[in-house]
Amino acid sequence: MKDEMTPRERMSAFLAGKEIDRPPCVPLILNHAARVIGEKISRFARDPAVMGAANVAAWRRYGQDLITIFTDTAVLAEAMGTQLYFPEDDVSRFKSPAVAEPEDLDRLEPPDPRSAARLGVLLEAVRRCVDEVGDEVFVSVCIPAPFSTAAAVRGTATLARDLYKHRDLARAIIDRAMVLTQGFCEAVHEAGGIPALVDPVASGSVISRKAFEEFALPGIRRIFDTVRGLGWPAILHICGRTSGIIDLMADSGAAVLSIDQITLSEAREKVGERVCLMGNVRPTETLLEGAPETVRAEALQCLEDAAGSPAGFILASGCEVPIETPPHNIDALMAAAREWRA
Amino acid sequence: MLSRLFYRARACKGETEVEKDKTCGDARRAELFADLAAAVDGMDEQGAVAAAHAVVEEGIDAYEAITGGLSKGMQTVSDKYETGVYFVPEILLCADAMYAAMDVLKPHIKARGGGGGTAVVIGVIEGDIHDIGKNIVKLMLEAAGFRIHDLGNDVPVGAFVEKAREIGSGIIAVSTLMSTTMPGMGRLIESLASAGLREDFQVMIGGGPVSASFAEKIGADAHGANAMEAVRIAAAWEEARV
Repeated sequence: MKDEMTPRERMSAFLAGKEIDRPPCVPLILNHAARVIGEKISRFARDPAVMGAANVAAWRRYGQDLITIFTDTAVLAEAMGTQLYFPEDDVSRFKSPAVAEPEDLDRLEPPDPRSAARLGVLLEAVRRCVDEVGDEVFVSVCIPAPFSTAAAVRGTATLARDLYKHRDLARAIIDRAMVLTQGFCEAVHEAGGIPALVDPVASGSVISRKAFEEFALPGIRRIFDTVRGLGWPAILHICGRTSGIIDLMADSGAAVLSIDQITLSEAREKVGERVCLMGNVRPTETLLEGAPETVRAEALQCLEDAAGSPAGFILASGCEVPIETPPHNIDALMAAAREWRA
Repeated sequence: MLSRLFYRARACKGETEVEKDKTCGDARRAELFADLAAAVDGMDEQGAVAAAHAVVEEGIDAYEAITGGLSKGMQTVSDKYETGVYFVPEILLCADAMYAAMDVLKPHIKARGGGGGTAVVIGVIEGDIHDIGKNIVKLMLEAAGFRIHDLGNDVPVGAFVEKAREIGSGIIAVSTLMSTTMPGMGRLIESLASAGLREDFQVMIGGGPVSASFAEKIGADAHGANAMEAVRIAAAWEEARV
């Protein structure tokens, strides 16, 4: 099956509700992009030339319908002062929090959303992708939402305790993260990219519906006001379990919900009228460990369950395509979208 | 469902304590155990510490206060976690309360001849420092009466093997949150085999990216999808050993 549209044409038409040649397919190729050009993750994560070249090469290799630039969920927290360390060939790890003691918060200088820590790296990678292939495919950046950034500013376990013990501090950190996130969304837009939000720490696998509503949702809403103001559709990815919060995710103002551990049938029933769904071929069991035929079967099942969802469906991986995923499994996912005819 | 079975198993173990309660007629002891359990379940660190001090001051057996009070409280917490009532923040705060009370009780635990639980060597595999999940599993196993050897995070395969050799037999629980470190788990199984220790240990793996099929692939004995499941598996193994 040959495509009749470029990914850019397809996504434009799809988001405008027009007819398209086949369902859009966006495996979340993030750090795996480094493997396409044989690079170490630590170079990919810190060198804009490598990050840009890897994402361009991955797109040329796989032809997915959206470039998704991302390396870790701590980039904004790092800009706020969190210390990370970078293993040679793995994603960054948390070393020490920007806010160890509550009073540390007052000492934080507002970071420059265009240059602090690695923010400039991401922006330069966006520009490189847009320059090279932007006329054929949209380039997005998966930006950590304020709650996930706050977790990396404070340390996840510490923030978790703060939700009970230091509620005002938690709110203050989330607010600071929110302001930086807004600025960074604008910077991504100026670079020619689409700001998308990822909020893994706000997952239903981690916090309760009540905590999501109180601490995560307000920040997501405000960022999406900014994103819509810039003229982009609001895209929200939350991995792990989301059965208990998917209605709230749809309330966030998102146009697209990228989901992981929830059946597409359930998601479609609960919010399919309101938002476009995106998902959810299993990253580890299927993409990393499965055979191409397994990937095909699961992808076709996803399409079966959700291709007719009222507000639309994008075939995708449930979460990040694991770094060492065999390339032929990603090809099999793309091929399933081309094979599908509604 | 399995959780019910496990709970029943625990409740049976506790029956002798209940019997003693009756024969001693010590309603106060039962009351303090209930206070400990309620404080843990209620994320009440101060309440847990106060009840633990009362246990010590009134000369009540500290070990029984852990198994009959703190452990029961954590079992309720586990059930709430499994049924989606509690999440990570709640688990952490319950754990804080439990550990605070445990710190008070620990120095007063009398040595028990040969009674201890099965040894569990636990750690996050080399290359990963994410240890919240591991700590929750550790906590649950500890509450369930296992003897824990916590190797921490970013643990080289060799360190697991060395500890295994030292303790002779038991369970090894190893976790990771990162797909890149998963091969280390396979190497651990191989190293245990070449050290002649594979038959003496049951190995379970856990953490975000690993799965039952991966466990099977590398020859681990089980995959614990969450903390509760890890405890259930370990309890089943322990029972099979006895």
